[in-house]
This record gives sequence, structure tokens and C-alpha cells, in this order.
Amino acid sequence: MSRLGVIAVVGAAIFAIAAPFFLKPFGIYLISMWTVLTVAAIGLNLTLGYAGQVSMAQGAFIGIGAYTVALLTQAGWPYPVAFVCAGSLCFVIGWGLGYPALRVQHHYLAFVTLAFSTLVFLVLRNEEWLTHGVYGISGIARPTLFGWSTGKPRDFYFFSLGTLTVLAAATWWMLRSPWGRAFVALRENPLRAQSLGLDTRRYTLMAFAIGSGLGGLSGALYAPLVQFIEPNSFVLDLSFNLLLMVIVGGSGYFFGPFVGALIAVLLPEWARITEGYYLMVYAAMIMGMMAFCPYGVLGMVERAIKAVTMRGDPPTPILHAEGTSP
Amino acid sequence: MASFIQLLVSGLATGAIYALIAVGFTLLWQTSQTINFAQGEFVMLPAFFILESMYLGVPFWLSALIGIALSIVILGLLFKFLIVDPMLKHGVLPLVISTIALSLFLKESAKNFYSSQAQPFPALVPSTDLHFLGAVVSTQSLVVLAVAIATVVALHLLLHKTRLGRSMQATAQNPTLARILGIPVRRMVLYTFLINAVLVAVASILISPIYLAKFTNGETLGLAAFLAAIIGGFNQVRGAILGGFILGILDNLSAAYISSQYRGAFPLLILIAVILLRPQGLLGRIEERTV
Amino acid sequence: MTAVLEVSNLRKSFGGITAVDGVSFKVRDGEILGIIGPNGSGKSTLFNCVLGQLTPNQGEVRVDGKTTTGMRPCDLNRLGVSRTFQLLQVFPQLSVRDNLIMAGQEHQGSMYSRLIGSPDAGLSDAAERMIEFFRLSHLADEQVGLLSYGQQKLLDAAMAFMAGPRLVLLDEPAGGVNLTMLVHLRERLQAYHAEHNATFVVIEHQMEFVMALCTRVLVLAEGRLIAEGTPQDIRRNPVVIEAYLGH
Repeated sequence: MSRLGVIAVVGAAIFAIAAPFFLKPFGIYLISMWTVLTVAAIGLNLTLGYAGQVSMAQGAFIGIGAYTVALLTQAGWPYPVAFVCAGSLCFVIGWGLGYPALRVQHHYLAFVTLAFSTLVFLVLRNEEWLTHGVYGISGIARPTLFGWSTGKPRDFYFFSLGTLTVLAAATWWMLRSPWGRAFVALRENPLRAQSLGLDTRRYTLMAFAIGSGLGGLSGALYAPLVQFIEPNSFVLDLSFNLLLMVIVGGSGYFFGPFVGALIAVLLPEWARITEGYYLMVYAAMIMGMMAFCPYGVLGMVERAIKAVTMRGDPPTPILHAEGTSP
Repeated sequence: MASFIQLLVSGLATGAIYALIAVGFTLLWQTSQTINFAQGEFVMLPAFFILESMYLGVPFWLSALIGIALSIVILGLLFKFLIVDPMLKHGVLPLVISTIALSLFLKESAKNFYSSQAQPFPALVPSTDLHFLGAVVSTQSLVVLAVAIATVVALHLLLHKTRLGRSMQATAQNPTLARILGIPVRRMVLYTFLINAVLVAVASILISPIYLAKFTNGETLGLAAFLAAIIGGFNQVRGAILGGFILGILDNLSAAYISSQYRGAFPLLILIAVILLRPQGLLGRIEERTV
Repeated sequence: MTAVLEVSNLRKSFGGITAVDGVSFKVRDGEILGIIGPNGSGKSTLFNCVLGQLTPNQGEVRVDGKTTTGMRPCDLNRLGVSRTFQLLQVFPQLSVRDNLIMAGQEHQGSMYSRLIGSPDAGLSDAAERMIEFFRLSHLADEQVGLLSYGQQKLLDAAMAFMAGPRLVLLDEPAGGVNLTMLVHLRERLQAYHAEHNATFVVIEHQMEFVMALCTRVLVLAEGRLIAEGTPQDIRRNPVVIEAYLGH
């Protein structure tokens, strides 16, 4: 990472730690939501930004994770165990979904995940004996870890921020390993990667499964944050929003999800200005962005910096058609 | 037996509508690598154009034509020039994302500029019932079926019996070769967008009386289009038609015989089965990539 | 002794066009086999069938006696077959060093052992040696997208050699390369061949390159094998001359 990047990250970290002391409870709720959504966005960034696959089920995985934690903790299981179960379950489901879908070309995973999202919603709504159906599950407790209760807004925020940091660090470590190189190769030139012995199917599947697992972990944080969950929270719109978060932040950039999630969380606040048309404005912004600069905010920042330091040819786009070299 | 015939007929009717939507979707994919995730919203929208026009006092039949015309301009021309063309040079993925954003945009537009309530929509014929083999079949179903089939037949004739249609097919199968043969490829691609606009408008007119005009219609209809296209075979127009009919019948049968709560699930399971067992779809061909 | 590569009766059609029509040949250990032929003779299709990019309609491909017809490219590579590409295929956003490490890493241990192992998969030294061998030292940390075409072509070949392959298939390695770089490339290929006794199969248009590099040459025309022999024999063969001039 460049020096500028390090300064930016340290600055943001200081801000993140100091913020709750200056915000009212609703503000703390917003930044807690930001940490929760960033976990899911990091997962989706793996799938989309690194492996180049569109998943429309990240919202569904958040739902599965949330319900898993809610049901297990209310049945008496300790939160850490429920947390791990949520992530593992979603990893396994992701693997199961991706295995057949990724054997084919085209964007079949997109359709399979679209169908899966709808299926999950139906199950959550219909299987009342398990999920309480449309009545939802209320009174979800916030965990107590090593004697420290996360019940209060500020305490929960630090818990969730800490979890985000650990998960982000783990992802960073994975991307630093040969796997990270393999993911970049997969994204840049899957044809060449294959001819060098890289099992593109296996790596894509792994990225998608890990991404889905992170979605589950995000849900595990979501449930105790909002303390009431119902099927309608996890419909397709959430998956769309997560997709847009990753894109707006900068697909394929490590910190893209952090930026994208922040924008998405603050967006409804800007809604007050646009009087409820904000979704349309958001969608229009996305389309404009895709036409002129599909690299997201961080992509634009990178280009701006490179232009200023004048390093020669503009860098190649992250999102480019499969198999073509620029 | 009687209810089975009823279900079959209404299934064929909905299936025919799904077929129209799926064919348009497949055409766009074949000719210009456009995966239009907003296809469902494309079907949802013309109904609102028509309702707005009727609100302004224009009679239904004229409003329908206006609706089709607006669809051609907005969902055909504008879609291609403003969204698809600028995106394609960045690759398929940005275009996919854009159409996802577009579906959100259109959905919110309908909700904000017209209404979030479901709106009744006039049927093509007043609903009467026919008695056939002991079953009660609504004329509406039959008319829908007839119009949809007529549209599909017309499309088939266009694609296979006219010079223009064959040029479009050539463009879909091999754009480079088509260009060498002197076919105006860009114009052919434009025509597929316009055809899609007509197909979705017709589908809209046919389905809105049944589903009511609602801004959320796009979700189910879009999903139906994708499922039909994949089940039938992603790269085949005939496959899209077959997929549409299969989906329509299955949808109606599963709602009646299996719980209606899980109505949407059955087609999804079929999709997963198809992708597992025969990913090229029922009629599709396996595509190969060369260096 | 089993041939390194054996192709038997390979046939591949696209619709009504038969691109490769019953081609059979063997590649001996340590030789440099050239495959030439006029445009449209089926060379690239043949290559793609051998390399798993396409599935032949008929016929078999065997590597070291093991049937590999229709095997996925990544599995084939793990058996020791690697290739270069006619249209340059590198990883433009990675550095030269990273491209080379990527080229070898999938052969180091298992996927999971690589996750917990070192970030360079233990290949830094090997990559360094390869960089020196191809005289790319001054460019080692440069982003590959910024290199010249000829330099990228060298890298392309270097990547194919990283995993110490048994058999290398080179698809028009000389295409679009300027004369100085061409000499350098050919000389490096010969040096590598001498040092490792590797087996090469080369598709090429440029006659001088083929004549100087290859020990044996096959000639394809209209999907069929029409001649075989040393470069000198081929150059004088009337059937071959006819095939080229007749187009």
C-alpha cells in the first residue's frame, strides 16, 4: 500500500474509534450498521471483484446467518458457537450452490443466486414452526463476551467494529497469500491462468463460498444489532444494495466495501433532501458511473492520483470482458 | 380432469406470455451480449404508460398503441443508445450491473410517478366463460393464448422467412462474418432492441389484466424470463418459447396441486435441476471457447 | 519408447467445415517439432484440441502414453504440458516477477498448503533465475501492461517454462516481433532446450524462424498432414510448395 493509503486508513481508523463518543444513539446505530454491512460487502467483493461473478444472494446469506444466530442463541447456545455456525452454514450452502452453477459459462451464478434468494425468502416466510414466519423473531439478545456486555449502543459498536477488523485482517492475509495472486490472475486473464494449471472453477467456487460465509457472519452481527428480524428484511433489494455497494466503493479494491457500505448507510439520510426519490437518484448514479467510470470511488481516486503523479499510460480497468486483454 | 384442463389452458396462456418475455431476453443476449436484468421491469412499465394515457382521456385501443410506441422509443431506442452502447465497451459486467440498477430505477419510477397501489388494467375482451369438456375456460385465457401465439408466429416468420430476419440471425450467430457479408450489423442489433420493446409491450398488455399493474411485477416476470430462457436453452429462441410454456404450465399446476405458499419455488428447483443435469438447457447447444 | 505426445486420427468440425481432418503424428522426447501450413490449414484448431481448449469430434491425444483427449487445460498443465499464446496472454496488472510466480505457483503443493505457506509459494529464486535467463532483470518489478510487445512475448515464453514442463507448445511465438527481439527469442528458446532437453512443438508462419529452430517439420494443408521431414527436405518438397503457392 502506498504511503497515502496508509495515512488514509489510519485516519479512518482513528475516526471510527472516536466517532461513537460524539454521536447520539441513532448515529451510533448507523455506524454499527456500517460495520455489519461492510462484512457482507467484503464477502461480495471477493465474489464479484476478485472472482468476477455476480451473486444476487448475499442478502439471503445475511438472512440465513441472522436467523441461525437468533434461533440458536434463543435456544441457549453460546453466541460464539452460533456465530461460527452461521458462517459455516453459509459457506457450505455457497459451495453447494456454486458447484453446479459454475460449471457453465455465462453468468449462470447470477440467475441461480437470484432464484435462491427468492427461495430463501419463501422458506423464511412459510416455515412458521421454525422462523415464526411473518411475525419474525424479536428480543434477540446482544452477546456478553468474557464478562463484557455489548448491550449498550457504544459497546455493541466496538464489538462489531472489532469483529469487522478481525475478519478484514483475515481476508487481507488470504489475499496476500498465493490465493490472492490466483484471484487476480483469475480476474485478469482466466484463459492464461487455466493454461498455467490454475483450476479456475475451484478458485471461483472458493471465492464465492467464502464470500457467502462472510455474508452469514454479517447476518450473525445483524441480528443482535437490530434485535428483531423478519423475512422482509432479507428480500432481493438487500442483495441488490450490497451489489451496488461493492460497485460504488470500487469492485476489486480491498477497501472498496468500506467506502461503498458507508455511502449506502448514509444514503437514506440524504433521502430527506430528495424526498424519497433517493433510490432513483442512487440507481441513476450507478448507471452514470458504469458508463463513465466503472471502477467505483476508489477506482476514481486511484486514477486521479496516477494522473497527478503522471505515471504514463492509464491503468487497465478492473471490470473488463472476460478473456480479453486490454 | 376438468380442473386439469382449466389449469392447462391458463398455464398455456401464462406460458405464452412468459415465452414472449423470454424470447426478447434471449434475442438481446444472442445478438449483443446484453443480459438485461431489467427485462421484468420492461414488461411492468408499458402498462403504466397505457394507464396514464387512459387517465388523460385516450380510449384503450389507442392508448395501447401509444404504449407500444413509447415502449419502442424508451425501452428500445433510448435503452440501446443511452445505456447499452456506452457500457459495452467496458465489458459485460458493467452492463449487467447497469441493467440491475436500471431495474431499480424503473421500479421506483413507477412507484413514485404513478402509484404504489396495484392498478386494475382493462382486459382485451370482457371476461366470459366457455364450457368445454366439463371444464370452465375463460375467453380471456384463450384470447391471451391466441394473441401471444400470433405474436410468436409473426416473429418466427420474420426471423426465418424474410431477408431481414435471416440477416438478424446471421448477426446473432457470427457478427464478424455478417459484417464481412455486408450486413449492417449495428442496424440489425438495433432491430432486436426494437423487437424486444414490442414483445415486452405486448406481454404487458396481456398480463396486466391478470396480475394487475403493480410496480413490483417486474421481479416475478423478470425471474420468469430468465428461468424460461435458461430452461429452454440460453442461446436458442425456440428454447425460450419452449421454456416459457413449460414454466407457465408448471407454475399453474404447482400452485394448484402443491401448496400455493411455495408457488414460486417449483420453477426454481427446475432451474437448479437443469443447471445440474443439462446446463445448455433443453434445446441449447454446448458452446466452446477457442483461443 | 513412448512418444511424449501422440495424436491419433484427430478430427474436428465446426458445423459443416472440417478444420482438422484425421491428423496423426508423434512427438519424440527432446525434439523441436515445427508445424507449418497456409492460413486456414487447421494448425490453431489442432493446437486447441491437443490443449483441451476444444473437444475433438474424433481421435485421441496421448501425453507420455496417458490419454488426455478432452482434459481441461489446467489438468493438462499439471501433467507437464504448457503453452504460449498467439494473441499475447499475460497478467497486465501484475509485475513481471509476479507473473512468473503465478506461472509456477499452482505446481507447488496443494491449494490449501499454499494458503498457509509463504506469499511467493517458495518461487522467488526460481523467478529470479528465469528473469535473468530471459534478460528481463531491469524490468522485474515493472507492471507488465507497460512493457513493449516484444518484451511481453519473452515473458509469455518465460511463463510457459516456469513449472519445468515436459512439453511446451508454442503458438506463433514470432508473430509481430521485431528482428532483434526475434533473434534474442530464438536464441533463448534454443538455450532453454539445450539446458533442459525440453520438447517443443511450434506453430509458426515465419519460415526463417522455423528453419533455424526446428529439428523436424510437419506441414498441414486443409486440415490434413501433407508432408513431414527435416526443414531442408520440406523446403524442397514440391507438394508443400504447391500447397503454399496454390493459395
